Amino acid sequence: MTQDADNWDALQSLFHMAEENPAADLDALLREACADPDLRNRARLLILAARETETKESTPSSARKEPDPRMRRIGPYSIVRKLGSGGIGTVYLVERIAGGVVQRAALKVLSLHAAGPFFADRFAREQHILASLDHPNITRMLDAGLSENGEPYLVMEYVDGVHLDTFCDDQSLGVPARLNLFLQVCDAVAYAHRNLVVHLDLKPSNILVHQAEGTVKLLDFGTSKLIQPDSLLTTTVMATPAYASPEQLRNEAVTTACDVYALGAILFELLSGRRPNQDSSVAIMIERSIREMPPEPITGAVTPEAAAHRGVTQTRLLSLLRGDLATIVAKCLTPRPKDRYASVDALITDVQRYMEGRPIMARPQTTTYRLTKFVRRNRKAVVIGVFAVLALIVTSSYALWRQEQAVREGRRAEQMQTFMYRLFKLANSNYMGKPAATVQDFLQLGVRVLPDFIKDPADLRSAQLSLAESMFDNDDFIHAQYVLAKVISSAKAAGDVGSEAEAEGFAGYVAYNLGQGDMGESLTAHALSLARKRGVTPSERVWIEVYYVENRADRGIRSDADGNLLKSAVAEARKENLPERETAFAIGKLADYLSQRGDLDEAQGMAEEAYGIYGREPYAVCDQADTAVLLANIRYNRADYAGSLPLYRQGYEGFKACAGPENLNTLSLQVLMARDMLKLGQAQAVVPMLETALPTWRKTFHDNTDIVAPLVFLARAYIAVGDFTQAETAIQEALKVQQGKVLPNSTRVAVFELLWAQALVGQHRMADALVHAETADKEYADIAVMTPAEKVYAAQAHQLAIDLRSSGGGIAPKK
Amino acid sequence: MLRAWSEGEPASTEALFELVYPDLRRIAGALFRGERPENLLQPTCVVNELFLKLLRQRSLRFEDREHFYSLCARLMRRVLVDHARSEGRQKRDSGVLVPLHDDLLWTDVSPADAIDLDRVLEELERIDPRKCRMLELRFFLGFTADETAELLHISKASVDRDMRFVRAWLIDRLQPG
Repeated sequence: MTQDADNWDALQSLFHMAEENPAADLDALLREACADPDLRNRARLLILAARETETKESTPSSARKEPDPRMRRIGPYSIVRKLGSGGIGTVYLVERIAGGVVQRAALKVLSLHAAGPFFADRFAREQHILASLDHPNITRMLDAGLSENGEPYLVMEYVDGVHLDTFCDDQSLGVPARLNLFLQVCDAVAYAHRNLVVHLDLKPSNILVHQAEGTVKLLDFGTSKLIQPDSLLTTTVMATPAYASPEQLRNEAVTTACDVYALGAILFELLSGRRPNQDSSVAIMIERSIREMPPEPITGAVTPEAAAHRGVTQTRLLSLLRGDLATIVAKCLTPRPKDRYASVDALITDVQRYMEGRPIMARPQTTTYRLTKFVRRNRKAVVIGVFAVLALIVTSSYALWRQEQAVREGRRAEQMQTFMYRLFKLANSNYMGKPAATVQDFLQLGVRVLPDFIKDPADLRSAQLSLAESMFDNDDFIHAQYVLAKVISSAKAAGDVGSEAEAEGFAGYVAYNLGQGDMGESLTAHALSLARKRGVTPSERVWIEVYYVENRADRGIRSDADGNLLKSAVAEARKENLPERETAFAIGKLADYLSQRGDLDEAQGMAEEAYGIYGREPYAVCDQADTAVLLANIRYNRADYAGSLPLYRQGYEGFKACAGPENLNTLSLQVLMARDMLKLGQAQAVVPMLETALPTWRKTFHDNTDIVAPLVFLARAYIAVGDFTQAETAIQEALKVQQGKVLPNSTRVAVFELLWAQALVGQHRMADALVHAETADKEYADIAVMTPAEKVYAAQAHQLAIDLRSSGGGIAPKK
Repeated sequence: MLRAWSEGEPASTEALFELVYPDLRRIAGALFRGERPENLLQPTCVVNELFLKLLRQRSLRFEDREHFYSLCARLMRRVLVDHARSEGRQKRDSGVLVPLHDDLLWTDVSPADAIDLDRVLEELERIDPRKCRMLELRFFLGFTADETAELLHISKASVDRDMRFVRAWLIDRLQPG
């Protein structure tokens, strides 16, 4: 229509003008704007056409007509109703009467292109595999056949459930509950993979949740096996593009890695509320797959509505997803199959590790990740923190190594890496001349065969670092050192500065543990110098800086330069937007440093920030406990006992969960609570608390001077409540344990002599009291260096001795 | 991967058509053969074939993504039209179903088949080639308004605006008489 061509621009102007004035009288509007009656008429027609379709569209377009309404029966099954249809066929709810019982099932009629000409043969071949899939979370395949029209069909167990995503949103499930359901899904997929069956079309609408039981059922498992292998539809059409892996979109060979990808997409949706790249057309998704573009980060997908469905605010959901969960999802969604989790089992392991607050195996961009987390998990700082405080009270020489051992206990062998799993066979096969009997043997075997499994030198270094970590956790420091030396030289040769720095930092820590302080220092110092080079990620650098300072602190060195290093680590962590947990780690270290320097105001601000960050993390109970104790110590040192008590209590609960109820740190935190409670005049509550705890102390630390700490406070509590005989018993127990292990003229002995004297005064045994008061006074007088608290005790002992002497052993001294 | 194509000799659009077209026809034929109407010819197939062919043929060169996708869309259009033509006009009722983006459901409004549509699109191409490209992208490749805007370096608002006009114009032109 050349007329339109001539007036094209004018036509558009009129059209858009009318669009912008929907309420105006159209004819009047056009007359005013345009003098040409023909053009006016054309414009009018177009505008009316647009308005007509608009109203039609606002009513939902009717569903396409039922494909086959005449088909009421298929084989021996009668159709109850249609359940749905997809790329490979239509699913019906069907019934069959067998043995007088009505059986319900889901029947899927496969479209011919999906079935292909050799469907019957293939089904016969695959049937036994599909029938053998017997898993509580997988719907069973019951039957198959050809309909009267020659269409192949499959019959499956019918599940009356809701789609996974709908279920989660209807119940407003939080992130942990969603992860639990997801693990059920993974479990089913892993089971099928072990039976050599891939799904290839995993998506929320293929996963039903039985509403009453809350169990998950996967549909359509095995269908993929029955689709004709050379069909054009096996990949692109069959899989739902949103959940299809890049290789499926590229029409390439499909493997279990496709299911890992789909699981990642499902997890993405369960957590964030929408599918990855939901707003992309299929064409663009294919482009992304061919260009191997990285997946969209999950944090970009979160909306306030999605957060509300998960029972949290958007900010909170974002902070939940940032970090480990984002890494897990990204690892599943990575474009190359080989970069994904090697198996669904490995994915399961990581999700579980996340839920338990342990480091995940997947790494984000940086390779130091696991090491970083490991170091934090070790919670060395808190060990020192707790004991520094305890030491102020009773002693100055606790054996640090014992506590570290206690912390590590119970964690042994937890660190088995995925790779190790594959070694079990080898371990039993005399590869090393004898079966591997211990974890250490096993790890050494791992080091030996690792290069057979991993060819890429960078990957090999990363795996070796993991092995060294495992060895370290199993106290095999010597071999850990050996493996790290290999990593360092290989990284150096390859110019891989990041790995070199990481391995050196770790090797420095190992050296400290072997008592090689000088070597430890030179290694961490060199790591620090490497940390400033290119190729080292901010995360690696922050860790190395913090760790360098920590190791120096172990050797008793704390200088301003160390403080500045910590400050720059914190600044970098903030600037580079490192994951909150890593930032909190550095902030916590700085707070610890500042508090030891006596900068309590600044320390408290920092500690509160770290505490706040961990408080927002769902599975950070252990880290939360660490920072709670750090903050509690600072508040205590500012004489804010009401402020420190609840934090010590939180720390105690956290340690009970993380390190176990019999762990020395856990027990020590109860002692710190007792100390606060005494300051707050709650001696009545201290007595039952410590009385309950003491049997555990006696059992675990039998004949060990550690038990002195609870005894001191129990004795004080007894005295405060007037139970002087019990106080005396506790004091005697403490002195007996210390006998021969503690120097006689030390504050640890003196403090008990003083308490003993006070207990005897309470019993009006003044002569005996005088003896102990004088002993305490004499011992304190011999001690050159004392803490402020000890000076107070020394003064008390001195005054008590004077009072008792002046009263002639018969009159109670004035308080 | 796209940059791999920049190596080697440029090829004409016609050569490209000849290279990819037979496979696309084969796929289209397989998809339509005796099938239920819900088995749609997906743009996936076309884009895929094109991408993969180009990867194998290093002798191709693309100035940019706009060129590439415009070509995909035109190929898709041609496959559909040729298929409809070979089926003959008597089978009009079965029609050719194209996967439509939500806001492009207007083919339900007008019973035009692919051949009529093609004729009108040729007319649009002569009047306003740019709007024709835009329409092909959205209609035949299922591009979203955002993606179309990004590809053509214009705003989403102007894509929406142009599409409203083109759509009204097409409906008018497709009406019998």
